[in-house]
Amino acid sequence: MSITLRGVTAGYGRDRAVISGIDMEIRDGEVTILIGPNGCGKSTLLKTVGRLLKPRAGTIRVDELDVLGSNPKTVARAIAYLPQDPLVPAAITVEQLVGYGRAPHQSLLGLRSARDNEHIEHAIAVAGIGHLRDRPVAELSGGQRQSAFFAMVLAQDTPYAILDEPTNHLDITHQIETLELIRRLNGEHSKTAIVVLHDLNLAARYADRLVLMKDGAIRADGPPQAVLTALNIAEVFAVDSRIIADPIYGKPLCVPYPTGHG
Amino acid sequence: MTGTATVALRRHRDRRALLLIGGAAVLTLLAALWSLGVGAVAIPVDVIVNTLFNLDGEKQTYIIMRSRLPRIVLALMAGGALALSGTIIQAVIRNPLASPGIIGINSGAALFAVGMTILLPTVPQTWLPLAASLGGLTAAGIVMLVAHRRLLSAAHLALIGVAVGFVFESGVDYFLITSSDAERSAPLIWLTGSLWGRTWDHVGMSLAPLAVLAGMAMVLAYRLDLITLGEATATGLGLDVGRQRLIMLSVATLLASVSVAVVGVMGFIGLMAPHIARHLIGGGHRLLLPLAMLVGMLLVTLADGVGRAIAPPIEVSAGILSALIGAPFFVYVMLTTASEQET
Repeated sequence: MSITLRGVTAGYGRDRAVISGIDMEIRDGEVTILIGPNGCGKSTLLKTVGRLLKPRAGTIRVDELDVLGSNPKTVARAIAYLPQDPLVPAAITVEQLVGYGRAPHQSLLGLRSARDNEHIEHAIAVAGIGHLRDRPVAELSGGQRQSAFFAMVLAQDTPYAILDEPTNHLDITHQIETLELIRRLNGEHSKTAIVVLHDLNLAARYADRLVLMKDGAIRADGPPQAVLTALNIAEVFAVDSRIIADPIYGKPLCVPYPTGHG
Repeated sequence: MTGTATVALRRHRDRRALLLIGGAAVLTLLAALWSLGVGAVAIPVDVIVNTLFNLDGEKQTYIIMRSRLPRIVLALMAGGALALSGTIIQAVIRNPLASPGIIGINSGAALFAVGMTILLPTVPQTWLPLAASLGGLTAAGIVMLVAHRRLLSAAHLALIGVAVGFVFESGVDYFLITSSDAERSAPLIWLTGSLWGRTWDHVGMSLAPLAVLAGMAMVLAYRLDLITLGEATATGLGLDVGRQRLIMLSVATLLASVSVAVVGVMGFIGLMAPHIARHLIGGGHRLLLPLAMLVGMLLVTLADGVGRAIAPPIEVSAGILSALIGAPFFVYVMLTTASEQET
């Protein structure tokens, strides 16, 4: 299984296309992380795959399933999409929120089956939020809230999960916690994740595959060692840097510096 | 937490919800009974009960069965319809300040109802719900079209709704002022949300559509839950957001419009009832919708009853009373939501 993008071009309103002619294959069982400067099109790319934005051209397929032409519920059983800073509805408990993850598997009335309940309990346990289940989501801290939304995505029980800047606004503790959870889902639950991250070094540490974007196009694509190079960083971010191996994991670590200090 | 503890907790929550809904139903029934007794001719409760079960004299029978019972049934129907409409609109627009009045539906419905009465005097009054629905849909359509074109935020949408509402309201004023024919314009007093002079005919022409629409609202409950998660998350969960939003807003518009057609503009009920209910029972629409409906029924029945009890035989219209309570409530909600958003 894989998600295949062919010639995907997308943008907002009548403005210039933000991404153009993207060809890409999301391979099964990998954590793919998209990086790049602000406005490079990485979030736009995720929104297009998440069906939030209709592309102007191109096709997106999950195996044989045409993502853009199929029933939204059918697609939502294959791909889960968690937006950047999801809105928090008033007066909804954590348990209710996680339950909504089952929507693509239910009728429009949303009546829970025993199987739905199993998935909900499992998701709450994996995300470690059992103690929060009856708390209103709106009253949780940023990290707890993110865990609740992750549990919702888990309950959706899809082979693919698209996560748009899941570490946004989180402190370093919760950033690591979130990324560890993604790795765990990938390892233990064989979920394929497509993630947008801002932090280059965290991206290099947690990705199987890095995709570096600039001006709506893919500039480099491959394992972190191949993508996070001083040359690529200079070209895409216009900043000089030295890449060293991090002392614990041996992954590439980017140390940027102002021009002339190297 | 163990499985049994979870189940016990859920059972406790379900019981609390049932108690709330049952309690609201009992309160509404009591308010309706009390309201049957108040007015220009006060009637004690035991006589009311006897009359309802057909055991008492003719005078009471006339007042209760012909005058008060239909208006109370209408108060219940309109209150429930406005509350359901407001609950749906607040969910779809994701704005606690939204209500059928705020997005212009009430004024649109009122304008078309008045227009029909004055411009087409030969058309039977039973067509009023249809005319009002066309007006409500027109107003809501304009607001949505403008908002959709420019991808506006919830706050902007409410502002456009208020502006469109003003245009339609001035249309109503125009008709009321220019129609010098007192015989034709006098009955239009009911447009200000009065239940005076309402008969079984009004019940007859609105009961079936409101019952069907209320049923549709209940069927939409789970989708309303999903739509409150916002467009992005709801789309990710497989909801066809654009289409569902259209269906939801249509049901909400028709609910409010039909109620305007029979009892006039009853402001703020669609704003207050969902708030009170959400505060009591939480945000899940399967429980929120029925409770909000009961709260709306209770509010309008009380407003109508109190309006008759203040200084009989003079009546203060339910619309005026609900606005008197509703306007400060609106400001309160605005202030509390503003401070929540700051944190």
